[in-house]
Amino acid sequence: MSYGGHDDDHHDHQHSHWGPHDWTHGHGGAPHNSWAPIMMAFGASFFLLGFTKVFTQTWDDNADLWTYAIHSSEVGILIAGLAIFFAGITVFWRQDWSHDGSYEAKSEGTPFRTIDIRKVALWMFLMSEMMVFSSLFSTYLRYRTGFDNCEALFESGLFVEGQSCWLPASYFIAEGGYHQENAHAALGFMPDTLIPGAINTFALIISSYTIVLALKTAKDASLSDAERNSKVGKYLLTTLGLATLFLIFKMVEWFIGFEIGHGEDALFHSPSLLADGFTIHASEYTYCHEWDHHGGADHAGACAAGSSAIFDIRMAASTFYVTTGTHGVHVFGGMVALFYMVIKAFRGGYTPENAVSIEYFGLYWHFVDLVWVLVFPAFYLY
Amino acid sequence: MLKIKRNSRALAILAILLIAVAIAPSAQSYPFGVSGVQNDGCTCHGQSPSEEVVPSLEGLPDELEFGATYTLNITFTGGPSGTDPGATALGGFHLWVSAGSLAPVDDKVKANPDGSVTHNGIDNEDSGQGNDQTLWQVEWTAPSEGGAKFILHTNSVNGDGTSGGDMYGRLTMDVGPQPTEQASGLTVLATAILLMVMITLGCVLWVFYRQSPDAFAWENFWPWFSDFITSTDHKKVGSLYMVNGLFFLGVGGLFAMIFRIQLSSPGNDFLTQDEYNQFFTMHGTTMIFLAAMPMIAGFANWIVPLQLGASDLALPRLNALAFWLNPAAAILIFSGIFSGQGADTGWTGYAPYIVSHTAHSGATLWVAGQILLVASSTISGINFMTTFCTMRAPGMGWMNMPLFSWSMLIATLMLFISIPAFGIGLIQVLLDRTIGTVFYEVAAGGDPLLWSHLFWYFGHPEVYVVVLPAFGVISEVLSTSARRTIFGYKSMVFALAGIGIIGFIVYGHHMFTSGMSPLLRFVTMLTTMLVAVPTGIKIFNWLQTMHGGSLVYRTHTLWALGFLVTFTLGGISGMYFPAIAMDLHLHETYFVVAHFHYVFVGGIVFGLYSGIYYWFPKATGRMMNEKLGILHFMTGFISYNLIFWPMHRLGIQGMPRRQHTYFITTDEYFALPPETADWNMMITIAAFMFFASNFILVYNMISSGLRGRKAPSDPWGGWSMEWMVTSPPPTPSHDPSNLPNMKFAEVHDDGDPGLFGRLIEWMMIPEDGGGEEE
Repeated sequence: MSYGGHDDDHHDHQHSHWGPHDWTHGHGGAPHNSWAPIMMAFGASFFLLGFTKVFTQTWDDNADLWTYAIHSSEVGILIAGLAIFFAGITVFWRQDWSHDGSYEAKSEGTPFRTIDIRKVALWMFLMSEMMVFSSLFSTYLRYRTGFDNCEALFESGLFVEGQSCWLPASYFIAEGGYHQENAHAALGFMPDTLIPGAINTFALIISSYTIVLALKTAKDASLSDAERNSKVGKYLLTTLGLATLFLIFKMVEWFIGFEIGHGEDALFHSPSLLADGFTIHASEYTYCHEWDHHGGADHAGACAAGSSAIFDIRMAASTFYVTTGTHGVHVFGGMVALFYMVIKAFRGGYTPENAVSIEYFGLYWHFVDLVWVLVFPAFYLY
Repeated sequence: MLKIKRNSRALAILAILLIAVAIAPSAQSYPFGVSGVQNDGCTCHGQSPSEEVVPSLEGLPDELEFGATYTLNITFTGGPSGTDPGATALGGFHLWVSAGSLAPVDDKVKANPDGSVTHNGIDNEDSGQGNDQTLWQVEWTAPSEGGAKFILHTNSVNGDGTSGGDMYGRLTMDVGPQPTEQASGLTVLATAILLMVMITLGCVLWVFYRQSPDAFAWENFWPWFSDFITSTDHKKVGSLYMVNGLFFLGVGGLFAMIFRIQLSSPGNDFLTQDEYNQFFTMHGTTMIFLAAMPMIAGFANWIVPLQLGASDLALPRLNALAFWLNPAAAILIFSGIFSGQGADTGWTGYAPYIVSHTAHSGATLWVAGQILLVASSTISGINFMTTFCTMRAPGMGWMNMPLFSWSMLIATLMLFISIPAFGIGLIQVLLDRTIGTVFYEVAAGGDPLLWSHLFWYFGHPEVYVVVLPAFGVISEVLSTSARRTIFGYKSMVFALAGIGIIGFIVYGHHMFTSGMSPLLRFVTMLTTMLVAVPTGIKIFNWLQTMHGGSLVYRTHTLWALGFLVTFTLGGISGMYFPAIAMDLHLHETYFVVAHFHYVFVGGIVFGLYSGIYYWFPKATGRMMNEKLGILHFMTGFISYNLIFWPMHRLGIQGMPRRQHTYFITTDEYFALPPETADWNMMITIAAFMFFASNFILVYNMISSGLRGRKAPSDPWGGWSMEWMVTSPPPTPSHDPSNLPNMKFAEVHDDGDPGLFGRLIEWMMIPEDGGGEEE
């Protein structure tokens, strides 16, 4: 190895800035030039620019209100930004593709001596991630404790129509919102509307297990290469599948809803939060304190006379969607990484010498699970 | 040689053009009355102009004859005038003209000291009272060149002796050739920024050309350039950071220059209120997030791996990503300025204004850009923390780390623990402004104080994040210049850590007037005062370092000494704010502006300048020009103090910050004394001097970088590990298979006191009695 100290020297061995990187040459293994950073940075910038062009609100002077619009024709910049960003990630991965674990940089100083530098970095990353979710929970606690609960407010009778109060998502999901009050409790022990959230919780917990299995298999030297590649790939694929399941059920719960059977005969009925009217724009939500199961125009019954009120529940909805949404984005980020790892696993990228990448991804993945374990009771059950 | 000269000349011409573009419009702005008389009328009856009163001004020619005298008839119609048969008064007027001279024709009119004319209220037997008229005559002598602008106010009075029901009308007339329309402040700014981009690109080309003038060819440019922008080497990324930081230091300075023109005299209309709001918002944002932070990151990139004895940073590609997020964010942050709708929220972006419909549309992208900067800071924070924890050279314990590295460690830790709160707040605001969530929408129960908490939870540690690296630089520079080890190394480290801890529990002092809990106010008052303890330890340690050593006065030493003076002053003025009662008085005045500029400029920028002079030879392998350096320090230090020292006084007199203008009137509420105008004019002149002085640095960096004397590996006699490698350092910075050993701290090689030091030595009486022979 030569450390000539001049870039002129270096150029002779210079490999493409687009990857793949020659890990046997170079200094400590790291690539020395890469187009990935500049592409990812400007891709993110264009994405945000596009985001503000697609999702806009304009002030209506006459009505004294915001009006919201999604300008789907402006989606070009947003998509271009995402494309550039993911092209950048692809370049990043192309450079990493040849990484086989033989150049893992180790820590020199106390207290982490001999520990992989990447592992320390990941823990540092998780430290800042903890602050991200702490800030979200701070917001949640501030508003949750600062708002009157809509149900308590109604019972006290001391409210004005249109007053803002807190109608937690759990009201729709676990405690008895409009649809749920009238739906069949298919499983008997939990409301139908809690099912997507419950499935999601188990999906994430199981995926934490499968990622550990992937690591254990990759470290297992007793397996043949072909067998190991296949098994590691399948475990990672399962993890990816469970993460996908999580996001699908998230969409079901937020926007789509599902039922088995139809109408009065439905065996299972879990409407979406959107259909329930739990949205960030719900400034005039018609709250019903007591349901009339016998009268009513449709199968779902109607609100008992004198037990309805109009409330502004936007804050509860904003907090719910943004906090669970941020968690969802973290799951999506994990899926992007898993996508790369699945391909690399089936191509034989993970060997007993190079299994730690799975471990470090697993650290992140466990963290995302752990956050869900906190988010779920705070937003779905209580 | 001829070519080089021609290039320097072109560069100088471009710089002059840039300044000219910024200044030119002010030369064409209209004169104005000190008390804003032409806007508010005479001491008019009625609160605002009424459309019912129609003034008219007759007798002005269509074609103006220069120097001729015209008789003007002033009349008005409408209003309550004359409706009462027994009225004792009919009306009054006030006529102001921008050029030429006005004179009364008869004693119904009198001349004012400022050249305007008004009705004469004194009773005259032959002509009647001046205010018992609806028609007056005056004579106007046209100026010898150029046109003029008339502003006429007429009062229509009801005549019952009271001013109830009176109203006034306003008329403006132009005659003759008018000065060309002045450019709006935003246009000037946009032009100047684009010019700066072009100059920067020009400099890049020139630097490329100068590297090998003989082999200059366009085909070679792209490989050279793309190698730079794709580089993940900490030194190249550090250089990119520095270029980025210095560029935006200039842009932020431009903002300041333009609004200093606005503030140079009372009642100025160079910038509208709306423009002014954008200017001070973008000035703050640019200086803190796009200038100070990248420059600090630049130093950290360059120096930390060299000082730690590491071959590079821990995560080189993520390091490059953290850098490239900066320009990407800058584009978003500045996009509003180029559409004329820049963010006008202040750098704090206080809710609920930032989510209200009155905030400019540019605020949305301002928020989006800030999110990218948060991402950048988080990524570089992870990177640096990992580097500190894992890549210290063998044998280098925590307590062997040089103080600059220690300061970066504490700063990075503070930054990346605090910045996610800001990031989440920004995401909430962005969603509030786009998809319509209601986190800060007061109508839906949103709490503006939550934003303040999230912002200042980050915002206060942030000011330590930017000042601690400057502390680190000063520690390095002073101990090297005093030719001894730093006094009280351990106490320095613990002071840094103490600031790091206390920094998190003081942020409430930004919110004393926000209505937060009185108990919390009291607690933050005490904790804020506590910050003075570790900071004081550092100051005294620096003093003792100099006292126990033997100081040489190199350029970087001068800046460090300047830092000690100005930062201490800034610290002392800072001690006024934790006292709640004092804070309530001084809140939102120029005293605050003076304080944080003494800390930010006198502390951070001086510290960073010191660092530039100190490490420039290491980074480029060339010595900087010491004469230019001393010139830069002298002009910069003096003009800097001329800018910000008077602001303390202005603040105590009650001049409010964040307001686009001020009046020196006898008005009870804003009774600023007349000398306020003079102080402000002096501040503006000094601000331009300070702005100009920084071009000395830029010129010095470019010219010395290309033509300066070759630097040895340890030009100052420093003893930390960055001085062990060649100048400029090799790649990788330290050979990973042969990491360095530490040197004894007592060994200092350099005894040259420097140009300035020789001057002082020459003036001093030597300790051995003047060297006279017995």
